[in-house]
Amino acid sequence: MPELAVGLIGAGGIARAHLPAWLTLGARVTVFTSDDSGERLAAEYAHRGVRAAHGLGELLDSAEAVDVCTPTHTHREVALTALRAGRHVACEKPLALAPGDVEEMIAEADRAGVLLFPAHVVRYFPEYAAMAEAVAGGAVGQPAVLRFTRTGTYPVWSPWFADPALSGGLLVDQMIHDFDFARLLAGEVVRVHAHVRGHQEAPAPAGCVAAATAVLTHASGAVSHVHGVWGLPDAQFRTTFRIAGRDGVLHHDSAQTKAFRVISQGAAAQGEGIPAVNLTESPFLTELREFAEAVRGGPEPRVTAQDGLAAVRIAVAAAESARTGRAVETGTADGTGADGRDDESPEAPETQEAPENQEVAR
Amino acid sequence: MKVGVLSFAHVHAAGYAALLRDMDGVEVVTSDPEAGSAPPGEVRGEVLARRLGVEHVATYQELFDQGPDAVIVAAENARHRALVELAAKHGVDVLCEKPLATTEEDGEAMVAACRDAGVRLGVAYPVRFSPAYAALRDAVRGGATGPVLTVAGANNGRLPADSRAWFTDPGLAGGGALMDHTVHIADLLDDLFGEARAEEVYAQTNNLMYEADGVAVETAGLVTVRYTNGAVATIDCSWSHPDHHPTWGGLELQLVGERATVEMDAFCQVVSGFDERQRTGVLLPWGSDLDGAMVRAFLYGTEAGEVDGDGPAVPDAVQVADGEAGLRSLRIALAGYASARSGRPVRLGDRTG
Repeated sequence: MPELAVGLIGAGGIARAHLPAWLTLGARVTVFTSDDSGERLAAEYAHRGVRAAHGLGELLDSAEAVDVCTPTHTHREVALTALRAGRHVACEKPLALAPGDVEEMIAEADRAGVLLFPAHVVRYFPEYAAMAEAVAGGAVGQPAVLRFTRTGTYPVWSPWFADPALSGGLLVDQMIHDFDFARLLAGEVVRVHAHVRGHQEAPAPAGCVAAATAVLTHASGAVSHVHGVWGLPDAQFRTTFRIAGRDGVLHHDSAQTKAFRVISQGAAAQGEGIPAVNLTESPFLTELREFAEAVRGGPEPRVTAQDGLAAVRIAVAAAESARTGRAVETGTADGTGADGRDDESPEAPETQEAPENQEVAR
Repeated sequence: MKVGVLSFAHVHAAGYAALLRDMDGVEVVTSDPEAGSAPPGEVRGEVLARRLGVEHVATYQELFDQGPDAVIVAAENARHRALVELAAKHGVDVLCEKPLATTEEDGEAMVAACRDAGVRLGVAYPVRFSPAYAALRDAVRGGATGPVLTVAGANNGRLPADSRAWFTDPGLAGGGALMDHTVHIADLLDDLFGEARAEEVYAQTNNLMYEADGVAVETAGLVTVRYTNGAVATIDCSWSHPDHHPTWGGLELQLVGERATVEMDAFCQVVSGFDERQRTGVLLPWGSDLDGAMVRAFLYGTEAGEVDGDGPAVPDAVQVADGEAGLRSLRIALAGYASARSGRPVRLGDRTG
């Protein structure tokens, strides 16, 4: 693959996960942030040819593709600027805080004829990818009841995470991973009910906890439970799933698959916010390689902007349910399905799921 | 002490009979007069009693004529009421299989009948006697977890209809997986949370797994319960454990508190391996006998301070679920059905239980 010129916007946790992946892929990376953190990140990697841009315009001038790793509330504006400049955009999840904002981003990408890629990295975790491929191949039959859990430390390292107005809160920022996966496996979601408990505002003091539970009802009738925790400082990053149907069950617990284990180290270990890679290729690398190949005219990535939109719709519905105490219907009668693209589609609801299955199979 | 087992309809009945048979100082007598109503192939009545080596009498009246000290009701869910009322009429303490009944009206009548007759009504929730639950209970009630935020629980099993067809008969069972498997974890939380009560239930169910097999009830369900202490629990009650899986299923939950996150697994204490000659997996359960602990507690009571052995006395040792507790977990299941029908959360009418 010819060298790709990438503009990395942001220098926080996820930018630091993406940058080594870009360098492994042989990209020429320019970093920009509105404060001096981008310059500091570039300086750390100066020996690998990473340089800092001094303005967004300079970054866009130097890049064919832009990687948006800024706080969620800025995604829309940053991504729209890059898309209007005709740059391909990879954008950290959630694509934006409101479905309308995501629709605007998608429309701009379509107008510019460039790729808008939602970085739903869980699609690239090998255990999740293996499960999705098996489910698409019929390993459990039609999924009937699905469970997902996700636990990490409360993200106190950046103040915006704790503020639901900026991050969307636990349901939107963290549990969107599993909302996206539930939809991938069991199809469009028509009803959402959720509760969130614990600390839900900025600032987030050390040692605070938030936890949420959501039940999704899919158009197929399948039901999914998603449980998310922003936990105590010693919480080890852990995810689990259990996918059951008539023909079988698949389950995973990351606490049980650690191929390298620290048994003792003389002092209690602190938890981790971003998962340590489990002795496989970094899922961030797998993810960004797929994006880079698509930019170079390769196949469409396994996760699309429409998937990113659908995930935001589910997450926002969950947050609305938690706020109002009501179950929120997401598949509306006027034909604006949960995927937001069927306003004029003559297709019956059953057939809307076909693209899903093809996608899983890829 | 003489203890009767009324009906072999429930899959647990044989277990109770064998347990009582092996208890020192206990004489067991059984009766399963409705054995004839079971589908062919289900081993019931005199045949099962002979196989178990326990006495069997033809009618419930003959059993009560022997003057039992207590009885265990193991009939189909919808037939619990008549047998519990019969025990009350004879002034005999009664331990009833879960769920207590299939309607609130039946459950209330059973509680009233036992109260009026001055007999004890217990409901068979053996997981209360799991050491893992005891540890969870200590952690929560002792304050180690801090206030409880969420609980994610799962009580999954195989479709139980293979051994007892009535489990999927809505008339006899009162429903499917939601009725069968919501109540165990609902009962644990009822005990765990003390005075706090369930106040709202949201449930979604489906029968995607077994509709094609002619099963008429829901076989999968997720039930979210909101409690007056602010905690929220979601219970997976599905019969989603594969038919031919080497284990029957299990019961586990994670509880997230403000100061600690803890988990319990009631049935994970198993040595596992592989038998090369049979070419099959080996599972050797070594955990404690929950049914035995529950039945002993019902027959002989639990004495504060004894449960912990060398540890400090436990002033609030776990008790067998009483009729009121059985009624509360039943109400959660019934509200779950109402919610699954409407697609909306349902508030529980009686918050004081």
